Amino acid sequence: MDTDSTHVRLSAIGIVAVSLFLALFMRLWFLQGIDRQAFEAASVSNRVRVIHEEGPRGRILDRNGKILVDSETSIVVSLDREPLRKMEEPERNAVFVSLADTLQQLGVPTKLSLIEKRYADLRYAPQEYVPIADDVDPSVEIYLMERADRYPGIIVERKAIRSYPYGNLAAHLLGYVGEINEKELVERGGQLPGSENGSTTAPTTTAPTTTAPTTTAPTTTAPTSTADSSSGATTTTLPNSAGADSGTRLTDYRLGDSIGKGGVERSYEADLRAVPGERTIEVNAKGDLVDVLSLKSPVVGDDIWLTIDIDLQAHAERLLAAKIQDLRGRRDKDNNRLNAPQGSVVIEDPQNGQILAMASYPDYDPSVTVNGISQEQWEAFNDPNSGLPLVNWALQGTYAPGSTFKLYTALAGYNSGYLRNGTEVVNDPGVYTIENCKGEKCEVRNAGSTPHGTVNMASALTVSSDVYFYKLADKFWNLTDQYGETPIQDAAAQFGLGSKTGVPLSGENPGRLPTPASRKAAFEARPDLFMTGDWRSGDNINTSIGQGDVLATPLQLANSYATFANGGTRYQPQIVTKVTRPRDLTLPANDPANYKLIREVQPVIQGTIQIQPDQYAKIYDGLLGVTQSAFGTASASWQASKTAWPMAGKTGTAQVSKKADSSLFAAWGPAGTGEPARYAISVVIPESGFGGEVAAPLAFRIMAPLSFGTLLPACPSADQSACEAAADAASVASGNDVTSGSAD
Amino acid sequence: MQSIGVDRRSISGFRGRDVSSAWKHVDIVLLVATGLVLLFGLVMVYSATRRFPGGTGILLRQGLFVVVGIAAMFGVSLIDYRRIADWWQIIYGVAMLVLAGVLSPLGSLGAFGTKGWYAFGPVVFQPVEIAKLATVLAVASYLGSVDRVDLRRLGTALVLLVIPMGLTMLQPDLGSALVFIVVGLGMLVVGGVRLRHLSLLVILGVVAVFGILQSSALDQYQKDRLTAFANPDGVSAKARYNIDQAQTAISSGGLTGYGLGKGPSTRLGYVPAQQTDFIFTVAGEEFGFVGSGLLLILFAIMIWRIWRAAQLAADSMGTLLCIGVMSMFLFHIFENVGMNLGIMPVTGIPLPLVSQGGSAVVASCIALGLVQSVHMHRYA
Repeated sequence: MDTDSTHVRLSAIGIVAVSLFLALFMRLWFLQGIDRQAFEAASVSNRVRVIHEEGPRGRILDRNGKILVDSETSIVVSLDREPLRKMEEPERNAVFVSLADTLQQLGVPTKLSLIEKRYADLRYAPQEYVPIADDVDPSVEIYLMERADRYPGIIVERKAIRSYPYGNLAAHLLGYVGEINEKELVERGGQLPGSENGSTTAPTTTAPTTTAPTTTAPTTTAPTSTADSSSGATTTTLPNSAGADSGTRLTDYRLGDSIGKGGVERSYEADLRAVPGERTIEVNAKGDLVDVLSLKSPVVGDDIWLTIDIDLQAHAERLLAAKIQDLRGRRDKDNNRLNAPQGSVVIEDPQNGQILAMASYPDYDPSVTVNGISQEQWEAFNDPNSGLPLVNWALQGTYAPGSTFKLYTALAGYNSGYLRNGTEVVNDPGVYTIENCKGEKCEVRNAGSTPHGTVNMASALTVSSDVYFYKLADKFWNLTDQYGETPIQDAAAQFGLGSKTGVPLSGENPGRLPTPASRKAAFEARPDLFMTGDWRSGDNINTSIGQGDVLATPLQLANSYATFANGGTRYQPQIVTKVTRPRDLTLPANDPANYKLIREVQPVIQGTIQIQPDQYAKIYDGLLGVTQSAFGTASASWQASKTAWPMAGKTGTAQVSKKADSSLFAAWGPAGTGEPARYAISVVIPESGFGGEVAAPLAFRIMAPLSFGTLLPACPSADQSACEAAADAASVASGNDVTSGSAD
Repeated sequence: MQSIGVDRRSISGFRGRDVSSAWKHVDIVLLVATGLVLLFGLVMVYSATRRFPGGTGILLRQGLFVVVGIAAMFGVSLIDYRRIADWWQIIYGVAMLVLAGVLSPLGSLGAFGTKGWYAFGPVVFQPVEIAKLATVLAVASYLGSVDRVDLRRLGTALVLLVIPMGLTMLQPDLGSALVFIVVGLGMLVVGGVRLRHLSLLVILGVVAVFGILQSSALDQYQKDRLTAFANPDGVSAKARYNIDQAQTAISSGGLTGYGLGKGPSTRLGYVPAQQTDFIFTVAGEEFGFVGSGLLLILFAIMIWRIWRAAQLAADSMGTLLCIGVMSMFLFHIFENVGMNLGIMPVTGIPLPLVSQGGSAVVASCIALGLVQSVHMHRYA
């Protein structure tokens, strides 16, 4: 053996050995010294899971603190899929069959296919519980918990759901809560569990980045006890004075969470929603829970105080429903059917824009929404034959305002300078011939061609002389160089017509205020739909009495009359007075010692209308005469159910082709007594007849007990029938028979 | 550097069986490094298994094996390796029979359907660990006793290597089969095989490896595990899991680690086989760069001392014996730590003296005993 050779070769092997060790050291340093951060994050996301817990939403109260929407606990049977996944398929199926069978026997019809579908539902995160049956009886909970060993992976949870102590009352306004959909989730920056990136990065970002979480418990148990998990879901903390972290409220949504879908629930989601809680748990390689690293209980949401007086709301809804039900099936003088498919009442405080009542008919039972609206129910709600009960007609319905529009035309007459001192008179023979008109349709008439003789501004409003306003509109159109093209529309716009009032409720319709320009644009967009794109005298004339293409919502109507009533300040309609944080949910909600004020909602002024006092007085007198003068269009209805003080207002009867007239009335009171106006009201019922015969009588019947302070308390649904019988008896006794026909 | 041996043996002037004189030449550095690594290993096994059901039992058994291994190491070191080499044919023959026997119904089915164990009640024995040693002894004895390695002798040496390798492949235990290739290569290089022949062998070996990977001799999972490190995106999630979890655990340990018993991956059992093939992750996670680096330094010291023993050996038989053991250790360490760090394919190769497993610890100790014997008897 050649020793030199051996020596060289030994050295070679030594070099190889050194190289290999160097390679290991370099790699070790790369992992532990350079690339550590990335791997540490991976280590955390490996073992730390953050379980999201929704808390109970805040309550919705009326202006006096009566609870309109409450949160109550619902018992939910859910699947914990972790242990189920570890079972063999036949064993798991046996559990499902047994569960379906047991629930059936306990009076909770549950399909096996539903359980299997939910088990496979990928929209839920792996550690999340998947609901099988909602709102079950406590006996089901006891039964299942006593036999927990027979139902592995079946969890009984307690969840907060909505309850509605007043049943259908104010349902449109309150809105409802439903499961967040994917669009809403993405809008709020939430992660869809399906997306690859979301599932891997989400736990990392929320998990604590501190190293070495302290674990003291040497014995670790898997989450097999249902008691543990159900108690975890129900512990909620009341917010303390330090304040809840509301920052995450609007962003920390997960699929399966609840979200306000309409009404106040939607508009005030940021206040009502509980700050979600989080359970940060550590799991081992098998997915068993080893330790709870941190527990942040959800914080109950804030309470919302509405401007609504539920007693007044109940009263208005009751009378509106009774009126509509009474009208249906009758026919008018022209033998048109009075279908009265819907109706609305809005009552507003003219001094601050607060909505005191907002009734929309037909209504619906919000309790059908608490566990999610079923497909059948949803289709029924949206069937046109159902009357569309989910629609809040008070702000989503638009109607030709008819003569109620004359308030705005009157303002236009003064603001334009065409009418100077308000004493200008017009002879009203019942018919007006359009100036410079050639052709057949040159004569426009009063309703029923009734002659009113010599009228001025005030009397024209009182008796609802169309001719007076026809002439005004005709003059405007003939003198566009002097008054511009749109003096009437400009005045109406000052009252808020043609634009949303800004009430913080979704779905508000802006209505429509047609102008020569908008007519032209509409014609150019769809020449097939219109005879002409030109605006003519006749269009101005139609607009002046709220016909033609003019459309307004009942809310706009009430708000515009409130604006006039308070002297010209147009408020944004408000539905919330304040937001409070409860201290103890078991104590009365309206005790100031029991809540902390978070914020108060201040009136928002949208605009002011300038009008000279003497001109204002002329219009005011005319509208007061509507109820107080013997010639007023609402005189008889006021006589039939007088309010404690006089009211001023305007009836409207809008013609709709081939249908019965829309009946409208907008008014305020007290009027003419020198006191500030306290209430403005609008009543709109389409396909129902004359404004003076349907809407106005209804308005006074609603206002009378309010003005006398004799409103009966609203009936909670728990004892509704007894309560309503008492209310009926009371109203008969006070001469306010609900079901009597029109008083004129 | 001076050349090794023959002269100095005569200088020493005496030969014999004086145990106390052999003791004077024990390699203390190697002995201390070995002891420290064994201790380190026990600590790691403790941390890796303490949450297992019966974890204490696993630790006690491992402790027992360490004691047995140390005793065996001292026992073997006291015997002159040349006396042991006299018996090489018998030792090799028995080892091969035992290795072959594991394929018979006597052997037990292990993980992934491989057959590599004998189970006698609670005692489990892995014959490949002894076969490696026997093969090193056989090749060293055979090549050490000849003057020149011609083609015929090379062929014989290759046969001695290929038999255990083939038997191991049949289990199939690919990692251990690779050990025979590396050990053989190291010994043939130092044993004086001509460079031409060696080059030819290397080329043949490379061709064979590719052939095996392409053929159906291996199951897909084995190929996946072997190629996962080179092509991280192209393998199944299952094959990646081991690698990812191991690197995650080691990397998150950082400079100083979480501390004993506090590493989350170890504590929660995220790394499969964390007490055996992936025990280096425990060191990495709980003791960080400092601790796992120290372990590597201890291993490097051991390798250096074995290499030194090879250099100082009295004869080429002793040199080859040490080189065989060194190659075996080096390959085990590099392959095992390398797969933990994600730079080597995943094979079932334990970390010497550290991984839980009796046969491996005892066999490693005996191997080190042989090295000590070469070192202690270099003047005898």
